[in-house]
Amino acid sequence: MAVLSVNGLTKCYKKGTNAVENVSFEVNEGEIFALIGPNGAGKTTTIRMIATLLTPTQGDAVVNGHSIVKEPAKVRENITYLPDEAGAYKTMKGIDYLYFMAGLFSSDKAQIEKYVERAVNMCGLGDRLEEKINGYSRGMIRKLLLSRAVMTRPSLAILDEATSGLDVINALEIRKTIKKLSREEGMSFLLSSHNMLEIEYVSDRVGIISHGHLLEVGRIDEIKEHYNAANLEEVFEKVVNV
Amino acid sequence: MGFGNLLKKELGQLLTRQAIFSMIFTMALFIMLGQVMGNTMGKLDELDKNDGTITLINLDTGDLSKKMLDDFRAEGTEVKLLSYSGNGDDYSSVLEENDLKSILIIPEGFSADAESGKSAKLKFVTKVTGTGLANMIDSGTDGGTPEMISDYLQKYYHDNFLDVTEEQIETYEAPSTVVQFTVANGRTAEIAPEMVSGMLMAVSVVMPMAIFFLLMMASQMIMTAISTEKIDKTLETLLSSPVSRIGVLVAKVVAAIVVALLNALTTMIGFAFYLNGMTGNKMVSMMNVGPASSEINEAINEAVTTNPVEALMQLGIGISGGQIFLVFLELFIGLAIGLCASLIIGAMATDIQSLSTLLMPVMILTMVPFFITMFMDINSMGIVPKMILYAIPFTHTYTALNNLIFQNHAAFIGGLVYQLVFLGATMYAAVKVFTTDLLFTMKLPEKQAAGKSGSLFGKGK
Repeated sequence: MAVLSVNGLTKCYKKGTNAVENVSFEVNEGEIFALIGPNGAGKTTTIRMIATLLTPTQGDAVVNGHSIVKEPAKVRENITYLPDEAGAYKTMKGIDYLYFMAGLFSSDKAQIEKYVERAVNMCGLGDRLEEKINGYSRGMIRKLLLSRAVMTRPSLAILDEATSGLDVINALEIRKTIKKLSREEGMSFLLSSHNMLEIEYVSDRVGIISHGHLLEVGRIDEIKEHYNAANLEEVFEKVVNV
Repeated sequence: MGFGNLLKKELGQLLTRQAIFSMIFTMALFIMLGQVMGNTMGKLDELDKNDGTITLINLDTGDLSKKMLDDFRAEGTEVKLLSYSGNGDDYSSVLEENDLKSILIIPEGFSADAESGKSAKLKFVTKVTGTGLANMIDSGTDGGTPEMISDYLQKYYHDNFLDVTEEQIETYEAPSTVVQFTVANGRTAEIAPEMVSGMLMAVSVVMPMAIFFLLMMASQMIMTAISTEKIDKTLETLLSSPVSRIGVLVAKVVAAIVVALLNALTTMIGFAFYLNGMTGNKMVSMMNVGPASSEINEAINEAVTTNPVEALMQLGIGISGGQIFLVFLELFIGLAIGLCASLIIGAMATDIQSLSTLLMPVMILTMVPFFITMFMDINSMGIVPKMILYAIPFTHTYTALNNLIFQNHAAFIGGLVYQLVFLGATMYAAVKVFTTDLLFTMKLPEKQAAGKSGSLFGKGK
C-alpha cells in the first residue's frame, strides 16, 4: 500500500524554467525510497513540495490519502521533515527542544512524554541532552534532529541528505537507525542524497533525478541488472549519460 | 607580499557596500543634525541680541508709564505701542494680528502702584507654537523689556523714596512683578512659558525617544527571529510540523512586541535617571510641570496665581485620556507597520551578513523622523520636506502627540488614515510572504548582498 503517491509534480520558479517537471513515484508502507541525483537536480524542491513548504505549479502528491495541495495541514500531521544541514534552537537544551517539537504534534502530556522518551532512547546523547544545543557537535545535532524526526512514528519521514557533513561513524549510526526503523517498526522513509553508495546500502528503491526530470525508478538490484552495472554510481552514469 | 594579500582579503571582507553605505549615512545624519542644531543656536543668538525695539501695550492711564516710555525713546529705544480692545486677559489675537511671539503689557494701575511705593505689576505674554526644541526656543520670551522697566523703577524709587519703610525695601529690591501668560491653540492662560516648555520637552524628547527604541528593538527582533530561523533551517522544520503558519507568525510578532516593550521600558527608566543626573533634577521637575527658573524670574519676582495644571488644560495642552488612547493607537499602528515590514525584509536574509544590510532601511526610516521631530515641528517646515517626512509612516507616530496637543486635527487624522492604509498594505504583503513560497524563495538581489559581489575587492571568499 502506498503511503506517498506523487503524480506529475512540477515546480516552476522562473517563467519558462521548471526546477522539477512531471515527477511521479510512490513510496510504500515500510519502504525506504531515495531520490538520488547531483546538486541542483531537483531533489530538495520535490521534497519541499511533499513537505508542504512549497506549492506545486502543477501536479499533486497524496500522503495517507491527503493531498498536499488541498489538505496541507492534514499532510503535516502524517509526515516529519529533516532538511539538509538543518539546525536546532541553539539557546534551548537538547531535552527542551525535544519537548518543544513533541508539543507541536500532540497536546496530550502523556503522549508528549512517550515521544520524548523514544527520542531520548534513540539519539544516544544521554546527559548531554541537559546541555544547551549551541555546545553540540554537528553529529550530535544531526542525531538529535533525526530522533526528533522519528519520535512521533510518522507515516512518512522525509530526510534530505540525512548524513551530509557527518563523519563515517555518525553517518553509519544514522543509516543503521533508518534501516532498523523501517524493518522493525514499518516506518516509511523518503530520502534524498547525492551519495550513491550510502543510498545503495540503505534504500529499497530509488528514483534517479537529473535537471528536474525523474529518469528512472525501481528496486536497486533490478536497476543494476537492467543497466548491467556493478553499483548505483555506474547506473547513474548510464542513466544521465555523464 | 604575504601580509599584503592577507590585508587585502581582510579589507575586502570588511569594506562591503553595506559598510560604506553605513559610514556615509552616519556622516550625512550628523551633518544634517549639525545644520538643524546650527539653525537652532542661531535663533538663540538672535534672541539674545537687543535690536533696540520694544513692543508693548500700555493700558495704564497714569503719568509715570507715559514718562517711562518717553524716557526710553529719549535714550534711543524704539517703542512700538499696540492697542488692545479685547476682553480680560485674552491676548492671542494681538499676537496673531501683529505676528508676534511675545508682548509686554503695562496694566491699569501700574503708575498708581509705583507712585505709592508698591511693586508695580506687569504682564508678559508668550506664544508657544510647537514641541520641537527649535520651536520652544522660537517661542522664548524677550527678557530684556521687563528688565528695562525694572531698572527704570528701581531708579525711580531711589530718586523718590528717601525715607523707606521695611516694606518699601522689599519693593526697592523687586520693583515690579511680572505675571506671565502663555498663548497656545488660540487661547491664553496665566502660566509661565517655561512651564509649558517643560511639559513639551517631555513630548518632544522623551516620547520620540521611547518610540524610537520601541520601533528599532521590535523591528530588529522580528527580523532576527525570522532570518535566523531561515538561515538555520529551523523554519523549515517548524513549518512542516502540524502548526499553522499564521500561528507561527502571530507568536513571533507578539513575542517581539512584549520583549520590545520591556526593552523600551528599561531603557527609558535608565535614560530618565541619566537625564536626571545630567540636569540636576530639573528635567524631572519640568516634566512634572513644576516651577522653572529663567533669567527673567531671577531678575523679577513672578506671581503665579493660577494652578499650573488648570492653566495647561485651559490652553488645551493638557493630555486627556482620549488623547493618550489616540497616541497609543498611533504607536501600535507604527509598531505593527515596523513589524510587518521587518518580517518581509527579514525573510530575504540568506546569511548573517545580509541581515545587517537588511536592517539598514528600517533603521533609516525610524531614525530620520526621530531626530527631526526632536528638534523641529514638522508642520512648520516647507511643503517638500514635510511631504517627504510624512511619506515615512513612522513620522506620524512621532508627531501624533504634538498634533493632538496643538490641535492639528487634519495632520493627525490624515496621518492616522495614511498609517492605516500603509498597515493594510504591509500586513497583506507580510501574510502573503509568510503563507506562500516567497518565504523560502525571496532573497536580496546578488549585487546588494553584503560580503558577496558587493565587496570592493571583488567576490568574497
